[in-house]
Amino acid sequence: MTRYLARRFAASVVTAVLASIVVFLIVRAVPGDVVAQMLGQTSDPAASRSLRAFFGLDQPVWVQYGSWIGAALQGDFGTSWASGRPVAMMVTDAFMVTLEIALLTLALASVVGVPLGLLSGVYEDCWPDTLIQTFNLLGLAAPVFWTGLMLLVLASSMLGWSPPLVYAAPGESLADNLSILVLPILALGLLQAAAYSQFVRQNVVSALHQDYVRTAIAKGVPARLVFFKHILRNIAIPLVTFMGLMLTQILGGVVIVESLFAIPGLGRLLLTAIQTRDYPVLQGALLVVVVAAMLVNLGVDLLYRVIDPRVRLA
Amino acid sequence: MTMADTDTAPLPLLPRWSRTLRREPGLALGCLVLALLGLVAIAPGLFSGQSPYDIDVANALQPPTAAHLFGTDDTGRDIFARVIHGTRITLAICAGALLIAAAVGGVAGTVSGFFGGWIDLGLGRFVDVILSFPPIILGVIVTGVLGPQTANLIFALSVIYLPVFFRIARAGAVSEVGKTYVEAARGLGLPETMILRRHVLRNVLPLVLIQYIVQFPLVLQIQAALGFLGLGVQPPTPDWGAILQQGKDAILLAPWISLFPGLAVLITAFALMLTGRALQRTVDRR
Repeated sequence: MTRYLARRFAASVVTAVLASIVVFLIVRAVPGDVVAQMLGQTSDPAASRSLRAFFGLDQPVWVQYGSWIGAALQGDFGTSWASGRPVAMMVTDAFMVTLEIALLTLALASVVGVPLGLLSGVYEDCWPDTLIQTFNLLGLAAPVFWTGLMLLVLASSMLGWSPPLVYAAPGESLADNLSILVLPILALGLLQAAAYSQFVRQNVVSALHQDYVRTAIAKGVPARLVFFKHILRNIAIPLVTFMGLMLTQILGGVVIVESLFAIPGLGRLLLTAIQTRDYPVLQGALLVVVVAAMLVNLGVDLLYRVIDPRVRLA
Repeated sequence: MTMADTDTAPLPLLPRWSRTLRREPGLALGCLVLALLGLVAIAPGLFSGQSPYDIDVANALQPPTAAHLFGTDDTGRDIFARVIHGTRITLAICAGALLIAAAVGGVAGTVSGFFGGWIDLGLGRFVDVILSFPPIILGVIVTGVLGPQTANLIFALSVIYLPVFFRIARAGAVSEVGKTYVEAARGLGLPETMILRRHVLRNVLPLVLIQYIVQFPLVLQIQAALGFLGLGVQPPTPDWGAILQQGKDAILLAPWISLFPGLAVLITAFALMLTGRALQRTVDRR
């Protein structure tokens, strides 16, 4: 177990380092850096040189990378070129906002998706199944941001309600916080619930056709017991894994929804950093996204082991 | 033909494709919608006589009427014409990007799985790095950094989907390499590259083709999302994502600008999913 953990972790670290190099290079591949943007039309070579030296842009790329990653490993991501605030603080603040959305979305998707999937699987090929599968396909086919827009239109035309325009942290006002997050969470949650329900159905259907289920039914075990004791227990692992997968997907989907509803999360931070060529913020935010996705995957792998000791982590 | 044959085999009164369609009604519906979309993409003039570019400020922000089926936008352009004419550009971008991803990822994956060793290790690590970014975020970075141009959009989309094809093709190649026909070909003294090209690649191809259909709706959604963020096709070119982006600011005033291009994405993705799923089931059954 320890050896597996060490190996798995080492592989993740290698990928993370490679990813950070890629991030660093992509950001620098851009025509027109921050200096060009700050100076605008004027092209005073002396000003440009001293600004480049100030930002460290006159150093070779690998030197820049070395000093960035060295400081980042100690938790120092530098300061934002656009706002002068410490990047670590900006990224942490944004990450907490995104995390709240992601966890609430995951909860909604599970509460809606799992029962629908179980129902659909148990009634395989009957009308409830057809109905739920149609919902699943529609949910998967609708673009998240469009669902968000339509929910906004519906809420305003039918209920006469629209979310507050300025974001409020849960500490400031929980009611305001939730009312600004409710539409984005619904939009993201609908998509993920459809995906989850689809996945649960597949697992239930394949479990129903297993020999142990047929044996249990033949022995006269009540259907309820077969369902809860045999089927649910056996599909638990894939269901947990899928939650990890959803969490990484939500992390991606949140970018668009945040920009749509003006929520100051990681996605919006990334977008603004790209627009202003704010390298330290862009690099810091990207690194956090990549590492978060990696940790989720690692966590799911370990949960496997806890839920089912038979899983050999070779 | 023996008696046993006539007893067990179903009467071949209907061709195989029609039997498949009857077993998979979703496939029929999906294909029908896709055929219609293909026609719209090829000949948009058949469906809409109006130009998607004509500005008519006097009729700006009109709700749907008989003259403007989907209403008009803030400069009075006909949304119906824009959605119809946008079909070609939207679908062409997705199809092109996916083709590049399938070709590059498919070949790289097959080579990786066939030869193994350090090639496999190197390519695998490269793909892992791409996969460590959530897809939309990768798209936002690539298009945001390189600039919102159609070529960059296609590049970004093909990078995002390359790993999918790589993995599918690699898994296919690994399972093919273990089969006896490859052993036989080696025994006959065929060069490795010929075995790869003539035999393995050909057997991996169906897997890649099915994945092409399965991934298409996802590419379409990311394409639309990037367009919506202003990182895709730029106005005034009619692209579904670009129309959605234009409609964003007037969403409560003129929801129809956003409603119809979004519905177009939804219907296309729905038809593609129905088709992809049915195809996968049909292949699994064989």
